Amino acid sequence: MAMILYHGAPNGPSLIVLAALAETGVDVERRPIDLLAGERHVLPGIGEAVALDMGIEGEGPVLVVDGEAMTDAVFLAQYFDELSDKASLQPSDPYAHWEMMMWCRQITERLSPAAALLGNIEFSQETLGAMSDERFEELAGRIVSADLRSRWEILRDGAVDLAQIVDSRTKVLQAVERCEKQLGDGRKWLMGELTIADLATFAWLAGMERVLPESFRDKPLTTAWLQRVRSRPAVASVLADCGADVATFWAPGPEINRWG
Amino acid sequence: MAQVTLYHWEPNANSGKPMLTLMEKGVEFESHYIDMLQFDQHRPEYLAINPQGTIPAMTHGSRVLVESTAIMEYVNEAFSGPELMPKDARDRWRVRWWMKFMDQWLAPSFSMIGWSVFVGPIVRQRDPAELEAAIERIPLPERRVSWRKAIHGTFSEAEIAESQRRVALGINMLEQELGKREWLASDTYGLADINGFNLAYAIPLSQPSLCNDEKTPNLLRWLRAVYARPAVKKCWALGRTDMVKRVAVLDGEQI
Repeated sequence: MAMILYHGAPNGPSLIVLAALAETGVDVERRPIDLLAGERHVLPGIGEAVALDMGIEGEGPVLVVDGEAMTDAVFLAQYFDELSDKASLQPSDPYAHWEMMMWCRQITERLSPAAALLGNIEFSQETLGAMSDERFEELAGRIVSADLRSRWEILRDGAVDLAQIVDSRTKVLQAVERCEKQLGDGRKWLMGELTIADLATFAWLAGMERVLPESFRDKPLTTAWLQRVRSRPAVASVLADCGADVATFWAPGPEINRWG
Repeated sequence: MAQVTLYHWEPNANSGKPMLTLMEKGVEFESHYIDMLQFDQHRPEYLAINPQGTIPAMTHGSRVLVESTAIMEYVNEAFSGPELMPKDARDRWRVRWWMKFMDQWLAPSFSMIGWSVFVGPIVRQRDPAELEAAIERIPLPERRVSWRKAIHGTFSEAEIAESQRRVALGINMLEQELGKREWLASDTYGLADINGFNLAYAIPLSQPSLCNDEKTPNLLRWLRAVYARPAVKKCWALGRTDMVKRVAVLDGEQI
């Protein structure tokens, strides 16, 4: 069963999946793409494009298996973990598993849209703004999901709602505070043992150290934990592969909750 | 075995997901009905269980669990009984993908329309001062915004239009997916079907022009197959409002 992983630079959702891949040792053909050039929307050989087209997580990695486009970084990390007999990145106890999935869900629903919004404004807006109208329309025209396309357009136009920016800063700070509290009993990893929760949280939070350094001030446990994740051989190898400043790579992310 | 108590509203949407999962697994549980329309979920006795004031919540011995889809996965893993997750890793991915798609993208659109036509008009008849006090007791700020919109009927035209776009698109996606296999995410009945049925059981009634035997035969086949299950009959019998009685539309031979 040939598996091809199309992924962006190791930041955000692409980092979650690349780190999980390195930790589990699953054999996958990796094909780097430029997410901010819209390359995710012209992938070859996809017979079943539903997950790819909906883009609920935004511009994340795509795993193609037998023509099926599989997306969502946390679920792909679980997929690799369940295929692998090497690593176990998920607790076997049902309650501990529930805790891990609840944590990941908080990260996915609250931190990731906020971090993506702030990271994109800081590092991607200028690139998109400098694109010719013709080039941008060609790119946007390939995006099947209307709501994902509108997130690209809003970012390019600089029309991001100020209230969303303020709220996003609060959500990043809340995520850091949540980590600091969780690590308060001296544990090494967020769930005790290393799990997907560490990879997912690191992948969205690490890039925020540059954008919102004040959120990390006086948070020694979180800062040390970020460094611990960064130093893991699997994570370090993924970051080194990129050979550039990974925290500057962003592309439109998940939508901010529109209802409740 | 430790006692299981489920705090839930109607067998519908988020409350119905763990209710039906427990029933399919054959797990005995104490049912604790929380009347959402009376704001029971924001009263101190419930906030002592779940400080966020969201329903459902489940206790299993001393453990407290929240978030309906995560509770479903816990119930499947923690108890014996029929396996509700497929064995194959890619099928398991598909179950998770569809549950997230429904929870985060599709259900909020159904919910916005449902609240604007069902919950809002019922609640709006109460004393405004009492309502405002009830809203102020809601712990999560985003839920306060949602309740205010529902109670005062202040959804914008653009918001409702976007929800309607997603509902129509979602119905098409479900129809296509159910044309590929017997159940939503794999060849065996499981959590994705339980989640999906809670979202979709009344679509033939609420969206008759988009969902009927002619336009969406696979969706109707699947809804009827889920509805035929004894656990579903038992679960929906716990409903108290006219809203959940809409499930009877599936008794019709031709919709």
